Amino acid sequence: MIEVRSVAKSFAVPAAKGAGLRGLARLGRRGETTRVHAVRDVSFTAPAGHITGLLGPNGAGKTTTLRMLAALMTPDAGSLAVDGIDVATRPREVLARLGMLSDARGLYPRLTARENIVYYGALQGMEKDAADARAQDLGRMFEMTALLDRRTDGFSQGERMKTALARALVHDPENIVLDEPTNGLDVLATRALRESLRWLRTPAGGSKCIVFSTHIMQEVERLCDSVVVVAHGRTVAAGTVPELLAQTGETDFEEAFVKLAFVADPALAGAAP
Amino acid sequence: MTGHRAAFFAVLKKELTDALRDRRTLLTVLVSSVLMGPLVLMAISGLVASLESRAEQREVYVDGLARAPTLRNFLERQTYTVKEAPADYEAQLRKSKFSDPVVVVPSDFEAALLRGDVPVLEVVSDSANQRSESGAGRIERLLGGFARERAVLSLALRGVSLQLIEPVQVEERDLASTQTRATRLTGMLPFFVMMAVLYGALNAALDTTAGERERGSLEPLLMNPAERWAIVAGKWGAVACVSMLIAVLSCFSFLPGQWVLRSDTLAAMFQYGPREALLFLVVLLPLAAALSAVLMAVAIRSKTFKEAQASSTVVVLAVSLLPLVNVFNLGGEAPWYVWVPALAQNTLMTRVLKGEALDPAQIAIPIFVCAVLAAAGVWYVARTLRQAALK
Repeated sequence: MIEVRSVAKSFAVPAAKGAGLRGLARLGRRGETTRVHAVRDVSFTAPAGHITGLLGPNGAGKTTTLRMLAALMTPDAGSLAVDGIDVATRPREVLARLGMLSDARGLYPRLTARENIVYYGALQGMEKDAADARAQDLGRMFEMTALLDRRTDGFSQGERMKTALARALVHDPENIVLDEPTNGLDVLATRALRESLRWLRTPAGGSKCIVFSTHIMQEVERLCDSVVVVAHGRTVAAGTVPELLAQTGETDFEEAFVKLAFVADPALAGAAP
Repeated sequence: MTGHRAAFFAVLKKELTDALRDRRTLLTVLVSSVLMGPLVLMAISGLVASLESRAEQREVYVDGLARAPTLRNFLERQTYTVKEAPADYEAQLRKSKFSDPVVVVPSDFEAALLRGDVPVLEVVSDSANQRSESGAGRIERLLGGFARERAVLSLALRGVSLQLIEPVQVEERDLASTQTRATRLTGMLPFFVMMAVLYGALNAALDTTAGERERGSLEPLLMNPAERWAIVAGKWGAVACVSMLIAVLSCFSFLPGQWVLRSDTLAAMFQYGPREALLFLVVLLPLAAALSAVLMAVAIRSKTFKEAQASSTVVVLAVSLLPLVNVFNLGGEAPWYVWVPALAQNTLMTRVLKGEALDPAQIAIPIFVCAVLAAAGVWYVARTLRQAALK
């Protein structure tokens, strides 16, 4: 189970430097920064055996929220917990229970897919044999057994994604978080991924708690048990797809999403870029 | 978590595998560093051998030989072979085609000599033509001998005692041992091995930091429960291992390198055996560890490998320029040399080549400095890692 309670995060970003000589003149100066509020108030609970969609337009604060969940960033306010363990105080225990496929999913091109997976197993504290066996299992699950002993240099997008996902799941975590996993995948690979996630949700697959972040509503409609809509750094709605349709009085989920994400909050409607 | 050590070794093993699989880079570094020793030695020995053979040949080239029978007589009595210089000797010397200085005899040499008119003998060489330049001193001394003989003879004929002509006798005594003299030639070897160590570390250091950022593999790496410092220590260990491997290979490459020495004198002077190789390693291995950490600390700030290469130039420059303090500072070695990385190693290795004993304290200080540098580098990378992963 993943709980996110009213987290907020802002960054200081350097003020835009002028082009050319003016920019050069400003280069040495410090302190000219503006604050960007990436996340203002995001809350949601993702239960086990359930696929929770985190839906929001680009720049809504999804990735920042997930980075806070992985203890890569410390929230300015609010708290996060995985299986009841607080991220701020016991980050390593959280990471041991979390399998995260982040936005950045670089592989080591000189290692084989299996070595990439087993490396993460070792970092999770697994024995070599156990990690090896697990890599074999994951290879079967994602239909990539033939790829396992090839170097990842030259892998296609889909093959890379599968390897990165297998790597994130090597320690068989109870909680799985996927940040825009279908980016760059073709239809077949997307379908295969959906099948795998559905299976992982079932008791046979381990009743995993799955959080699926995306900006594509069709993904959410097809896969997710419930949806959390995030816009401008805030949670603007939550519920199942029919519930959200009813809430907005729409029949088309895309219309409902646009209403929720871009129009629902009149205070923010004007501030949208 | 119980697995600090497990995480450290997992990272170490992975990074070593990764670095050793980067065949092309590794091969370039290996070939350049391991072949460097024998190649430098061969070049030096070739130079020394040609100087030696010239000295043994005892030849003098004279332009206008027929005009100076007296000089010829003198030179031949010194067991020199006197040869007529080629007509276009000036052009040949300039182009380095001709490697001996030429004595130019003026047209009325003999007559002027008899009259006591002090004729001028020119010794022509080209200071850009190193081999002719090195022979010029020898020829000048020879001609000085000729002048002295003439003076002594004419004074003796007038009944002047020889002691009056040479009231002081000058004798040279060279304190340098054969090994010390050899370091004038082999002095650049420490520089080459240090460069080999540096370039051995460079690629791996950049790949495990900036390369990891560029690939986008640093962020997922930090989503593992392994301690950050264990990850960084593992990476540093791997980089240091690669650099040390290069250090070992390059130090021992001078051993077979000696077999190709063409000059017997140089072979006798250049005493580099297993003992010297081991002393080199004692000096170099801590430097390899320190440079690995420093390069990683510099590279972790860069988002791409290319950017990291640009910023690591500062380190490369420092390591290549610091030993030059030794060359520019004419006051000899200063005590603070051993506190400066690269300069300390250069100084110590030069001393090993000179066959001087090494003071344990003077070895301990650079090792201590290297340990501090390595710890500081690893600490900085561990501190910056999370921030670096996200940008």
